[in-house]
Amino acid sequence: MKTNNLEKDINQLKYLTCKMCLIAQSGHPSSSLSCSEIIGSLYLKLMDLDSDKFILSKGHASPSLYSALMMIDKIPKDLINNLRNIDSPLQGHPDVTRLKDVNVTTGALGQGLSFAIGLAIGKKIKKEKGNIFCLIGDGEMQEGQIWEALMFAGNNDLPNLITFLDFNKGQSDGKVEQIMNISPIDKKLEAFGWEVKEIDGHSLSEIENTVKEKLSKKDGKPLFIISNTKKGYVSPNLTILDGNHGASINDEIMNKVIEELEISKR
Amino acid sequence: MKATRDFFGDYLLKLAKNNPKIVVVNCDLGEATRTLAFKDIYPERYIQAGIAEANAISISAGLAKEGLIPFVTSFGHFLTGKFLEIFQSIGLNNSNVVMVGTHAGLAIGKDGPTQMGLRDIALMRTLPNVRIYHPINPEQVAESLDEIVKVDGPKYLRLNRQPQEFFKLDNSINFGHGDLIFKGKDILVISQGAPTVEAYHAIKSLNYESKIGLLCISSMPINNDSYASIVSQYNKLLIVEDHFEIGGIADLVSRLISEKNINIEFNTINVSDYGQSGDPKDLYSRYNLDQKSIEKKLKKLLNE
Repeated sequence: MKTNNLEKDINQLKYLTCKMCLIAQSGHPSSSLSCSEIIGSLYLKLMDLDSDKFILSKGHASPSLYSALMMIDKIPKDLINNLRNIDSPLQGHPDVTRLKDVNVTTGALGQGLSFAIGLAIGKKIKKEKGNIFCLIGDGEMQEGQIWEALMFAGNNDLPNLITFLDFNKGQSDGKVEQIMNISPIDKKLEAFGWEVKEIDGHSLSEIENTVKEKLSKKDGKPLFIISNTKKGYVSPNLTILDGNHGASINDEIMNKVIEELEISKR
Repeated sequence: MKATRDFFGDYLLKLAKNNPKIVVVNCDLGEATRTLAFKDIYPERYIQAGIAEANAISISAGLAKEGLIPFVTSFGHFLTGKFLEIFQSIGLNNSNVVMVGTHAGLAIGKDGPTQMGLRDIALMRTLPNVRIYHPINPEQVAESLDEIVKVDGPKYLRLNRQPQEFFKLDNSINFGHGDLIFKGKDILVISQGAPTVEAYHAIKSLNYESKIGLLCISSMPINNDSYASIVSQYNKLLIVEDHFEIGGIADLVSRLISEKNINIEFNTINVSDYGQSGDPKDLYSRYNLDQKSIEKKLKKLLNE
């Protein structure tokens, strides 16, 4: 499905994300909401679903990915009742052996970017077209393997690799800058050989323009998009769960989300 | 003299000639893992990851997802040390990746225990979809590699650094069912990899072929019924492995005889500590894995 109304469809995606987390009473909703616009824009508008691939390295945002897969009819919407349940394809973190559409198993942080690089090299070896999009978390940047991967990509010719950083500034124990500061990210990434852009990660136009500009070039460096986001972002007027990484959604919060997103109750 | 890692490097070139899917992901050990010739002939299919095994492992999983057959090569110890990455990127992705771990066991020698692959089998055995291959001669290396490119899913190929006096086998590998080298009757020696060659020469030099059986575990997982039907024919077992005493083939066989209610005397030669530096031959002697030590042990078990 290519969207006719991206903003409305991403609202629907956020609704599905919140609803499945409400039913499961777990599922990292705040970390899923911070990247809803990125994942939604990619799946509903920007990716060529035949030749491009998306890799969710921060696997705990799986509800957002599952919602996008529902929106493009890859998986049935009634699975929102089955997040994190026994024998469900919607595992707490993406498990490709139970749901092939997630492309890769992630969850232990730090590995997805390397996997995405493997896909990008694979396309190159096979001389096939296709872009690889990867989403990593800011806390995840504390993992050593991320820096191995950043070094590798910067040293190899991988113009078809686009990495989003969901820079929501929060992680399990608190604020990223207090736990293990990762800034200045732009200078580090440029020194590692990447092209770097910084955007508002909730702005659909900034996401689209940045991706389209890169795709219009056929060569160059891999692109790293520092996407400034908020944990628990629903809309400019509503951010839920107060930046808490592990908190779950209750009925009261769900009602606020429904009202804010103008989702008709069902 | 050559080692199984040499046969691997040679045969990989042959396979790659007719199989464009084969790629190598190297971790700055091209010479040691015998993949440099591959680089010269197929540079576009040779990926240098540098000293970054975790990255190499997950990149390999990505390559496999694109339909390629990546061989990610390093010392077995360095590769399997990245267990979390193997668990997730290769295991729980069910990736068609060939992990090639060279310098198995004590025989890396003077570099010592920080480089010594003595726990790699134990780690790989905990991943339910990883197949393990440990060939003992050039023919078995070729047969293993033929099988490896045919079978989908994660694989671990364990190879040795030390040159040995290899011998030819009558039969090709019976994958999963065990390869009986000598039938014997009283004692069954079960071994894997390089110590199998030592055990072979020990039995030969004592002229014990009619008394002692020799069973080689060239591939795992094993078929319990096939192994049980062999093991149950003997009175005494001697397991010989160049691996830590826990998690290797001694554990594998002890579980087999428990589950199958086989009444048999159980003896082992393996490594019970972290290992240490030393000449490979001296280490094999010190840890009783060499031909002479195996001869001594067999005589004792036969009360001779």
